[in-house]
Amino acid sequence: MGGFPIISAVVFLPLIGALIIMGVRSATAGSFSSEEAGKDSRAALLAGLIISSATFVASVAAFLTFDSNAAGYQLVEQYAWYGEITYKVGVDGLSMPLILLTTFLTPICLLASWNSIHTRVTEYVVAFLVLETFMLGVFAALDIVLFYIFFEAGLIPMFLIIGIWGGKEKIYAAFKFFLYTLLGSLLMLVAVVYMFQAAGSSDIEVLEKFAFPPHVQTWLWLAFAASFAVKLPMWPVHTWLPDAHVQAPTAGSVILAGVLLKMGGYGFLRFSLPMFPDASHLFQPAMFALAVIAIVYTSLVAWRQTDMKKLIAYSSVAHMGFVTLGIFSFNEVGVQGAIFQMLSHGLIASALFLIVGVVYDRMHTREIAAYGGLVKRMPVYATLFMLFTMANVGLPGTSGFVGEILTMVGGFQAATWAAAGAALGVIFSAVYMLTLYRRTVFGEITNPKLNDISDMNVIELVCIVPLALLTILFGVAPNLIFNITEGAANRILSLMVGG
Amino acid sequence: MLPDIFILFIVLAPGIVALTGLVHKQIGDLPVMFLTTGVVLTAGALSLFQLFAYAAGIVGAEGHGEAAGHAVEAVAANGAHVITLLPWIDVGNFHANWAIRIDALSIVMMAVITGVSGLVHLYSWGYMSEDPHRSRFFAYLSLFTFAMLSLVVADNFIQLFFGWEGVGLASYLLIGFWYTKKAPNDASIKAFVTNRVGDFGLALGIMAVFFVFGSVEFEPVLSAIRENAVVTPMAFAEAAPAQEAVIEFLGQRVYALELIGVLLFIGAMGKSAQFFLHVWLPDAMEGPTPVSALIHAATMVTAGVYLVCLMSPLYEHTLYAAGMVTIVGAVTALYAATVGMAQNDIKRVIAYSTCSQLGYMFFAAGIGAYEAAMFHLFTHAFFKALLFLGAGSVIHGMHHEQDMRKMGGLAKFMPLTYAAMLIGTIAIIGLGIPHTLIGFSGFFSKDAILESAFAAGEHHVMFGQVAFWFGIVAALLTSFYSWRLIYMTFHGPQASAEHHDDHGLAAADDHGHKHDDHAHVPHESPAIMLVPLALLSLGAVFAGFYFHDWFVGGKESAFWGGAIYSAAENHVLHDRHNVPEWVLWAPLAVTLAGFVIATMTYFFNRGFGKRIADSGGPLHTLFSNKWYFDELYNATLIKGSAVLGNLFWKADKKIIDGVGPDGVSSLTRWGARRISAMHTGYLYHYAFVIIGAALVFGAVMWLRAGGVN
Repeated sequence: MGGFPIISAVVFLPLIGALIIMGVRSATAGSFSSEEAGKDSRAALLAGLIISSATFVASVAAFLTFDSNAAGYQLVEQYAWYGEITYKVGVDGLSMPLILLTTFLTPICLLASWNSIHTRVTEYVVAFLVLETFMLGVFAALDIVLFYIFFEAGLIPMFLIIGIWGGKEKIYAAFKFFLYTLLGSLLMLVAVVYMFQAAGSSDIEVLEKFAFPPHVQTWLWLAFAASFAVKLPMWPVHTWLPDAHVQAPTAGSVILAGVLLKMGGYGFLRFSLPMFPDASHLFQPAMFALAVIAIVYTSLVAWRQTDMKKLIAYSSVAHMGFVTLGIFSFNEVGVQGAIFQMLSHGLIASALFLIVGVVYDRMHTREIAAYGGLVKRMPVYATLFMLFTMANVGLPGTSGFVGEILTMVGGFQAATWAAAGAALGVIFSAVYMLTLYRRTVFGEITNPKLNDISDMNVIELVCIVPLALLTILFGVAPNLIFNITEGAANRILSLMVGG
Repeated sequence: MLPDIFILFIVLAPGIVALTGLVHKQIGDLPVMFLTTGVVLTAGALSLFQLFAYAAGIVGAEGHGEAAGHAVEAVAANGAHVITLLPWIDVGNFHANWAIRIDALSIVMMAVITGVSGLVHLYSWGYMSEDPHRSRFFAYLSLFTFAMLSLVVADNFIQLFFGWEGVGLASYLLIGFWYTKKAPNDASIKAFVTNRVGDFGLALGIMAVFFVFGSVEFEPVLSAIRENAVVTPMAFAEAAPAQEAVIEFLGQRVYALELIGVLLFIGAMGKSAQFFLHVWLPDAMEGPTPVSALIHAATMVTAGVYLVCLMSPLYEHTLYAAGMVTIVGAVTALYAATVGMAQNDIKRVIAYSTCSQLGYMFFAAGIGAYEAAMFHLFTHAFFKALLFLGAGSVIHGMHHEQDMRKMGGLAKFMPLTYAAMLIGTIAIIGLGIPHTLIGFSGFFSKDAILESAFAAGEHHVMFGQVAFWFGIVAALLTSFYSWRLIYMTFHGPQASAEHHDDHGLAAADDHGHKHDDHAHVPHESPAIMLVPLALLSLGAVFAGFYFHDWFVGGKESAFWGGAIYSAAENHVLHDRHNVPEWVLWAPLAVTLAGFVIATMTYFFNRGFGKRIADSGGPLHTLFSNKWYFDELYNATLIKGSAVLGNLFWKADKKIIDGVGPDGVSSLTRWGARRISAMHTGYLYHYAFVIIGAALVFGAVMWLRAGGVN
């Protein structure tokens, strides 16, 4: 590769684009009439789309040079930064698909905002691009301090996206989101400082091999888990998620469900398992218990929701419970299943939030009761909604099934009760999703406002159809993913034994 | 055996043409209907040819030694001819392919599925002719056919699960086909969710299979059980022969095979509407009638029976799991028959009858007579599809009236439908003469089951005696409710005056029937609906006679080959020839008794049934309310989950948020208010605090410095 820093390029391309957009904006500030300012905002969105698409192309280019057969880190770049702390980025089979997911979803988010965001559009685009850089940085960082910086910095643009472009109670939701995640992160910071002191390096590859004494591991594990559990989110620190989702604009929900939640699972796999194997074993039963509670509890709560977005948000918590189950099964089937479930959920939950956004843009309500009979006016919408409903309930043939069954198969080997508890989610997901679908799409049109609702337009189709195709593709040929993740999953498990 | 390319066509083509439903707006209804019907009929013809050719190949192999085709040999020898299409999931040692695995079981199932499906497609041209969404209907039918085929040709549990859930999806879509109405919507969700309860067991069973055998593919798992190979359950170091392996499940040490058998059977109970999980099937009758014939009678609901027969090596080596299959089957056979006697909706009577007949199949499998179970599955497909399509013809002719109390005297309006229903009825009650080969289809298969059950009881197979006696009583009831249906519908005075009054209500669906044209007179159905009835009638009359030898009558071991396994000590199919004479005649006797009672009460004395219903006796109340299962489940499971859901939601708001973020923020606010309250602005307050603090600070310093010393 001639040493071209492709990963850094992918990570910072959105940030550079954001700076350029801001520069152009301030250079031309005041030179537009209010009419032209409207066009200017489309121009900002268009610029954002181009930049994020270019980032996607760059990440695909990085993927093409990526060797799926190698287990360790690749495309590594390391530069001196501050003493022992280095700027080190690189990818493995765990982070590569998550980076692709991020770069794939960001343009979709911006496109989905085309007709729904009309205020402070330039700032909106900048926030998204900055967020994209931070998210990519989280997955690419191979230095724990660098990771921490990206991990924390990502809070700010997300906080702004919810707080500025959100719904009626956006301030409450934004602060709740911020407080929860920050509290967890502070504990992680303490742990990071301690680890740096103890190991004398902040290099993740060094830390992976450093053997922390078991009693130290316990505390470090807890500190990291405080942060990752909030992000994932796990019961009982999940309550920020429904509020954040409900208040966030559609694109914010998509990125939240599609990428931000994955940081929790990623963190457990990147840090907790390989660096604190003894503590991970120690906490396995507790994590299984929390996973099962999350699945059963939030599925039942989801069923009782009257707000479409809240229902899907709770369903997200339940589906991330499968991720926890798979990760802490400590076997290849479970861990690969968990990684797959993260990616699959990134596609399905994103699509479901887009689906809700489609009718929200038309009706400006997310109340389930305001809908009904949509199939008569929106047959294309009904078909896509059905597809993702079935994907969310884990119908075989969709990616949702593969993640669920593998995490449960893996979990069964570790603890039969955990798998049995999680399998209850298979029943409940059908209950709440089919009820949602039936109340919104089937039945007679009772709300007269729905009589002239229009079916999906081209922009919406361009956003959702790719997600639909990938959901089916990965459901039928999941090996496309497993070929990438296999090496990384086995490496993590071997570090647990040998580390 | 067919060349692979034809097998691929049979399995895949219905799935491909189902996709035309997505573009029906662009290409129009007729191309969708032509394509789906044509493809499935072709697949049906091929599958039937495959079945006959396979049977003929067995004859050839027996007659000429080596003359039979290679593939036939392969199937007969070890039970499978596998075409691997694509890898699906490969993670660690977890492997599942998209594959087509042909053995005798799948040959029979393919014939049943595509045969009935083709006829149902054809029939729907007439039945659904006035429905504005008929292309969607045909697409769903083909989708179902594809999913069901992929189930029966799976070579691993995961693809089986794909088909299993796929037929669930198709069933959901078809039950709720008239999606603007409340009842079909409710019924479709009920069906999907109840099936999911079963799938919960099935999924756990698959996990347990992988846990014990380290594979989810049929061949290694089944041969390990057959050969009692040593297995080492993961995370449990004790290696043991498969049949004695013990694993820990939910803290209990249990025999691995028993556990797997019970879990898989829970899945079968859901799909095949067995006792406890049967509640969805009667409600599924809200779907269009051709759907009831295809999915809820002939094919999908038999998937559970297929699974148990496929797993014959497993159930042969279990005691309790097999016992559970037997007793649940026997109880369902009797239970559903009691309920069927007291229903007035023509489709619900047949639905409960299906439930009951599935019970027969299960207890046959449970006692080890898998061949008899498959035989009954096969013959049942013909006569039950016939009965449903006949009922559809009645409903069509009655302008969507389903209440038998509003029918009567239809024989003279629709003689051909009447003839078909009579044939179906005689077939289901199993009329035939013992010791001869004279009888309708049901006679051969049902009597084989009952004789096997008696033989099993004699050999102290668990619940064998119970199954036999329940089966005998259920046979009496079957005969009664079947003839009751015939008499209420086709005989007696025409109840048309009553019918006219609320006709508007009954036909209030989006079927868009042109009422004026028919002038409310019951009419015979068009030819396109009668042709499938005629063909199914042929099957209902002759299928049992023709296939008797192959399935159970002496050539069964050659026919089934390795597909069905019988343990060395299992002789039920053989012993059934040695049962006492009265066992052979008992089914005929109770069948005739049921006929006589029904004739006395519903033919000669037509008010009798109504009087029973009006008198409100406890038994009738219990039966007509389906033993109150719906009420029980509503009051416990559904209400309970709703209460829990609301409780948890409140806990989120009140407890977690109350203690967590909201609690922290209100605590902070409270603290800030306290602190700001100290900023009073009075100088002496500040002076007091400063002096006090200085004193305390000084005291501490003094003490630390050594105090009075």
